[in-house]
Amino acid sequence: MRLLRIAREGLTALGTSKLRTFFMMAGTIVGVAALTVVMAIGAGTERMVMKRVSVFGFRAIMVIAGGGSTLTPPQGDVVTLTLADAEAIREIAGIEIATPTAMKRGVAVKAGAVQTQTTVFAVEPDWHEAWEWYARSGEQTSAEDVTEMARVCLLGATPAHDLFGPVDALGQYVQIGNVRFLVKGVLESKGTSPMGTDMDNRAVIPLTTGMRRLFNQDHLAQIRIKVKDPNDLEAIGTKVRALLHERHHITPPQEDDFQVRTAADVAKLVRGISGTLSTLLTALAGLSLLVGGVVLMNILLISVSERVPEIGLRRTLGGRERDIFTQFLTESLAVTLLGMLVGSALGWGASAALSAFTELPVTLSWRPFALAVASSLAVGLFFGIQPARRAARLRPVEALR
Amino acid sequence: MIEVENLEKTYVSGSLATPVLKGVSFRIEAGELVAIMGTSGTGKSTLMNLLGCLDAPTGGRYRLGGADVVELDDDALSQLRNRRIGFVFQQFHLLARASALKNVLLPLIYAEDYPADAEARARRVLAAVGLADRMGYRPSELSGGQQQRVAIARALVTDPAILLADEPTGNLDRRSGLEILAIFQRLHREGRTIVVVTHDPAIAEHAERVIVLRDGRIVEDRKVENPRDAERALQATGELAEDEPATAVATEGRAQ
Repeated sequence: MRLLRIAREGLTALGTSKLRTFFMMAGTIVGVAALTVVMAIGAGTERMVMKRVSVFGFRAIMVIAGGGSTLTPPQGDVVTLTLADAEAIREIAGIEIATPTAMKRGVAVKAGAVQTQTTVFAVEPDWHEAWEWYARSGEQTSAEDVTEMARVCLLGATPAHDLFGPVDALGQYVQIGNVRFLVKGVLESKGTSPMGTDMDNRAVIPLTTGMRRLFNQDHLAQIRIKVKDPNDLEAIGTKVRALLHERHHITPPQEDDFQVRTAADVAKLVRGISGTLSTLLTALAGLSLLVGGVVLMNILLISVSERVPEIGLRRTLGGRERDIFTQFLTESLAVTLLGMLVGSALGWGASAALSAFTELPVTLSWRPFALAVASSLAVGLFFGIQPARRAARLRPVEALR
Repeated sequence: MIEVENLEKTYVSGSLATPVLKGVSFRIEAGELVAIMGTSGTGKSTLMNLLGCLDAPTGGRYRLGGADVVELDDDALSQLRNRRIGFVFQQFHLLARASALKNVLLPLIYAEDYPADAEARARRVLAAVGLADRMGYRPSELSGGQQQRVAIARALVTDPAILLADEPTGNLDRRSGLEILAIFQRLHREGRTIVVVTHDPAIAEHAERVIVLRDGRIVEDRKVENPRDAERALQATGELAEDEPATAVATEGRAQ
């Protein structure tokens, strides 16, 4: 076919000067590689966001004692969040559960001679429902446990394993602080928290037991809210904030002594980790493609003026204007497609390396490759048309001189 | 074959009009070997460009093989050049990075129908100009005479109606020039129509007919009584042992 024969003429020019071809490809290589890495990190981040948010709960709002911006409550010294606050929040329309939790970190837990440290959560029965976090074996915290200040606990997967190894923890006794507890259940494993901590390193005890017997305190660490309709999350979050402002006598700009966090806040926090890098790499990808395109166009323009006699000869021997155009556009497209292949390979390699050697979430898929094909074709076309047109418009009589 | 009637070409640059061809008329029949002669500035290059369909006249008629060329658009002219005309230039105009064979195949790339036996045809014409053993060589590995023979093979590969040669021996030493002329004369004996444009009367004397241009007009159109025989002249130099001159010269370029 004539078109293919002419396109092949465009390809032969690439092999004749490999350094020139490399310079023409360089921008596309860097651009596509950066693009591939950006998209791999982007996809990885979104996957992580979904995972973390699903751990947090799509219908969840957390009220955390203490101000600031992290998701974890400060250690013990903020005493303003109370059971009465939880009662008041429960009255807000659209809330299914609002369950109060007291908490203490770094509590020693012993089973015989084995000792470990864990975070103790003192909860009410609906805590399980609010977190959708149930006992893997044994029983959950019951209403009786709370009213009777029972010395029973559920162990998270981590302390259960640390203390008892392969032995079933259920029915065993552990000493938490100075109090002996019966292990009435072992919690399902939840893995890593939105902030990257081990969710399974915990012991769960009845709220009253915790506040009266173990911690001896009246304040809460957090109130976990589950709303009926996820669409109401932000509205209810605002109401909770207003209610607590009123109850705690805080008027902004005065600093809050609590935080209200929704699933959307969690997503934002997780995205923040890789956001900066992504923005940087996206800029690099765009810039490389653009600069690479301009370089490509200039080299092609130079090449056209160097090859004026060749173009004249081709026209004389029967090449039509559009044949010359096709030849030079093919050269441009071939260069960018070749650069795209090299860049994709580099980008995949870099993504794989990032995934292997850093904490960055990286997910490879066909998407960056598809985008690379599209963007390199766009660059090749856009920056190739001008030189190709210039070549095609040369008049054979003048070009042969 | 070629019918030119009152052909005119005037170059306009700004308000300045420069008439280069001022009404040229002649006919060239199929199978003729014609030299168009003139000193530089007489319009012979312009005439060559018009005959080669590389440029359009500003007046007059040009019929090539019965078709009116003046009416054709650029694409049609390209096809006409491809199918009907074989070009040979003073500077050879070969693709430096392509082998002799690739250079000869070049016109076929632009052919409407690429012949199935393209490569065989290219080999055949290369062999016909005595380059059977040089097909893979690049122009830089060939002598000037050999390069011009590659160009002739390239002009022949499309089996054109006419061969247009513009100062084909201008860049060659005397013997290489004679070789080229010998090839033209042989092609002429085989029935080709050949037009050679030259400023050199000695070259023109190898043709059967000489058209002399001066100041944009034909001042002489005569038959050559006894055209010189290039092949005999070559043998007279006494340096060639074989009776096939082209092959003999071809072997001198590079040791086997």
